[in-house]
Amino acid sequence: MTAAVDPAAGAPTVPIVATGLRKAYRNRTVLDGVDIHVGPGQVVGLLGPNGAGKTTIVKSLLGMVHLDAGDATVLGRPAGDPTARRGLGYLPEQFQYPGWLDGRQVLEVHARLLGLPQAERPAAIADALHLVGLGGRGDDRVAGYSKGMQQRLGLATAVLGQPELVILDEPTSALDPIGRREVRDLIRSLRDRGTAVLLNSHLLGEVEQVCDHIVILDRGRVVRSGALADVAVGAEVRVTVERLDDDALSVLQGFGRIAARDGDTALLELDDVAAVPALAAALVTRGHGICELVPLQRSLEDVFVDLVGSTEEGR
Amino acid sequence: MTVVLLTLREAANRKVLLVGAVISTAFLLLFWLGFAVGFDQAASEGGDPMESAVAATLMTVLGLYAVQFLAAFMAVLLASGAVAPEIESGRLHAVLARPISRTSWLAQRAGTFAALASAYIVVMSGAILTIASGVAGYAAIAPGRAMGLLALEVVVLVALGTALSVRLSAIAAGVVVIALYGAAWIAGIMEIVGTVLGNDTLQRIGVAVSLVIPSDGLWRGGSYYLLSPVYVAGTSADNAIPFAGYGAPSVAFIAWAIAYAAGWCLLADRWFRRRDL
Repeated sequence: MTAAVDPAAGAPTVPIVATGLRKAYRNRTVLDGVDIHVGPGQVVGLLGPNGAGKTTIVKSLLGMVHLDAGDATVLGRPAGDPTARRGLGYLPEQFQYPGWLDGRQVLEVHARLLGLPQAERPAAIADALHLVGLGGRGDDRVAGYSKGMQQRLGLATAVLGQPELVILDEPTSALDPIGRREVRDLIRSLRDRGTAVLLNSHLLGEVEQVCDHIVILDRGRVVRSGALADVAVGAEVRVTVERLDDDALSVLQGFGRIAARDGDTALLELDDVAAVPALAAALVTRGHGICELVPLQRSLEDVFVDLVGSTEEGR
Repeated sequence: MTVVLLTLREAANRKVLLVGAVISTAFLLLFWLGFAVGFDQAASEGGDPMESAVAATLMTVLGLYAVQFLAAFMAVLLASGAVAPEIESGRLHAVLARPISRTSWLAQRAGTFAALASAYIVVMSGAILTIASGVAGYAAIAPGRAMGLLALEVVVLVALGTALSVRLSAIAAGVVVIALYGAAWIAGIMEIVGTVLGNDTLQRIGVAVSLVIPSDGLWRGGSYYLLSPVYVAGTSADNAIPFAGYGAPSVAFIAWAIAYAAGWCLLADRWFRRRDL
């Protein structure tokens, strides 16, 4: 499939641009002003506890849920316009394929719905089956598939025809650890092909391993978003100086709290994340040779728990 | 067309077509046997052409009445599960993530069910009339018109069932349509009784219900065209067959039935497009 191109700019269209998404069911607000941006070839993870609104966002991008307010475009078209879905593959969170069809027939149906020319279908189907590791089972009936195989078939329909954008809603929920690793590899290979991916997951490790951008949602609001490295950057630094004496300690204490100390090494919780260069300068000015100054990455889990866990109590 | 093929495959794989074909063949064999035995007896006992015509007409109309019942239930069962189970199972989400509009999906699905039920009417009515013609030389007033009206009856039921299946579960939609179908049937009988007794109130109730759901009115209109001309010439409305028609349906009623089906189709589309999936 050729990449959709914005006729005005001549550049590839942005896969997802959504601003101010709002949705309420009766008097329960599900989305409260959500902004999401997925650039060409980006892998964006959508994180949040159950009920945060992740699936509602995905469904609104596909035109399955009607928004109360906000603008969303998918591949340059308004979300909900069927033509927006030409270059899109989707794995629903809950799905079922007709048990009386075999895997290849399911993909044949989807290839037709996608409008793939007949001549291209067999190769596209074989490619999709191969990509998800179902190559040998394509002729078996779906009714005989295990949950994990059905999940793979769902992934195969999502990547069929080399879409520009793939939306995966909890793609590893039914998979064993090996299957999960294969899905991560699949997402990486999609990125290598230049496919943008929106990954909806509550498995933080999964998101951390494959996504370059993340959006953390809680109760219908975006509580943090950005490049993974920026979001997960921590406020802790590990400092090792030639001699950690009282003077060195007083310099450190001027920048934050010393959380731990071991010989000439201290673990410092900075008051200001951006103060690392100033800290280095201050130590050098006072004559303390720096052996090591390492800003520590926090795990995504720590960030997530800080952001979402704190609001959990108020539920 | 992909959704049409998928829906046909679904019907085939759910054994709807196979079971329908087996039962219908058994039904036709039974009808042929009963018709042959009954007609022979009526012909040998009386020899009166009017009596033979009455016997042949009664048996033919009874056979077609059963066909109409089977087709109506088939239409209701198919249509009442048109939408809700597809949403609940998640089958619909995978399909609608493709570049296909909701309207197109619904039209293809309901259209396939309507075509299946209509084809059933045409094939089975054709078979019954062929048997009647072969055994008794039976000729109906206008078989084509009859089939058209009976097909319109199942289309009405498919349209109603599909619309309700957007809002209700399959079971609830099926129960509502069957209840309305039953109400129309009873109202049709009341209308006949009202005509025989000369009771205006009963007649009006019958007419009112046939406006709420025109299924029984369409059967009556269709069944009139299935009568033999000899039988019609020799009887009056007062001693008509209670479950069949005794006069040609009005153009206004047929127009109402078409508008009724179209109205439910439009409503089904509107509800479906507005629904969050």
